[in-house]
Amino acid sequence: MAHGLLVKNDDGDVLIDSDFTHYHFLGKYTHSSVTQVPDMTGGYHASTGGIGGNSPDQNKGMENMPSKGEIYIYSVPVNGANPPICFIKPTSTGSSAPYAGIVLTKQSGSNWEIRVFQSTVTSASPVLYCFAPLNQISTSTSSTHGLKTFNSSGVATFDSRFKPLRAVGGGEITSPGLAHTGSSGSSWNVSLSVNASPVSTSFSTQSSASDLIYYCPSLAHACQKYEYEQADSGWYSWKRFSWHRSDIWWCFYRSCFRIASTSSFEANYGVFARGHFYRHEAEESTAFGSLLGFLFGGAIFGALILAISASTWNNANVEGGDYLPYANSYRNTSGNSFIISKASYYD
Amino acid sequence: MSHGMKIFDSSGTETFSTTDSTWTILGVYTSNANTSTTHTGVPVMPTRIVTRTMVDQITGDDEAYVHTYSLSGSTLTTTAPDASNTIKTIFTVFGK
Repeated sequence: MAHGLLVKNDDGDVLIDSDFTHYHFLGKYTHSSVTQVPDMTGGYHASTGGIGGNSPDQNKGMENMPSKGEIYIYSVPVNGANPPICFIKPTSTGSSAPYAGIVLTKQSGSNWEIRVFQSTVTSASPVLYCFAPLNQISTSTSSTHGLKTFNSSGVATFDSRFKPLRAVGGGEITSPGLAHTGSSGSSWNVSLSVNASPVSTSFSTQSSASDLIYYCPSLAHACQKYEYEQADSGWYSWKRFSWHRSDIWWCFYRSCFRIASTSSFEANYGVFARGHFYRHEAEESTAFGSLLGFLFGGAIFGALILAISASTWNNANVEGGDYLPYANSYRNTSGNSFIISKASYYD
Repeated sequence: MSHGMKIFDSSGTETFSTTDSTWTILGVYTSNANTSTTHTGVPVMPTRIVTRTMVDQITGDDEAYVHTYSLSGSTLTTTAPDASNTIKTIFTVFGK
């Protein structure tokens, strides 16, 4: 640095370097709407009860499926091509608190649309504390007190009147791989709730967990499914019968985070979307020749999953056999940098 | 604080001090969807972190790969793990 201002703290960390831009407080934002991903569900031949005396009719809806989280939508006005960095002030903290994470960042005109996914539905809502460089902040101030720095081109890089970002912690956190471990179901009873242990990382102890806000966009996601099929045929009540049922259930999970204590940050998953499809054929007859041709197991289930290759939820074509719109795996679980700050610095 | 600096606003509220910690923006780099990119000229500070933000969606989908990266010296190397399903990713390099 030939000229300018360089301020370090007693750890030797750079606090102000006039050569570089700094994030400043843009504002505090509440959501404009809240939504959930609609369930994808459907089936063929919903009621076949009584056929053969044992044709299974139970759980053809979303029974036993874990609850979905909800998605809060925010609109953040900020100039420029780069999105603001948005810290989440969670609805609660602690080891039972819901997890929340930013799942979508999208430019919409001169605003940025930010979507925050929270793993459980709560009456309270998360609040965003957003920051941007000075050249992306259009608000002005009449205050004449403070410190302002410029780079060698004369561009303002730091201005204490706009509340610079102050961090109290940070580091890197990974998300679990699978959201659900162990058995994913038994017979017609699905079990896909999030049971992965949260991944925890620590930061320097703060006085109040409820005052903390965090920046950590969601990157990881996982999809897990459960399939089951069963068939039977024979004689029942003096009639020849045959039935075959095939089902597929799935959940799509997004990674999200919580302040678990005054010194602990945790990552896990929430159920972002879910679906259930089935096909159930059944027939009975007093004549041998009129029975359906699916007595040899696998044919129906094979057709059901044949086209499970769709990669998009929005474009899922159920009629065409796209019953599982996500790959049955997990992605993006590598390290995620996070920053912790305090809401009270900016309230 | 026996030594250092505090900055106050006009109402006497402290807005920044040398007891604080912060992250300075060293650079913001965009890697477009499905494209591996090498970004050069990344400033160096003793401690750096890189945050990744997935921007937009791939064909309206919430399922996508995020770019992986490595930061060495002044070079940020970003890699698209999948040629058709890697989302546009903004890398923000912070230093202190």
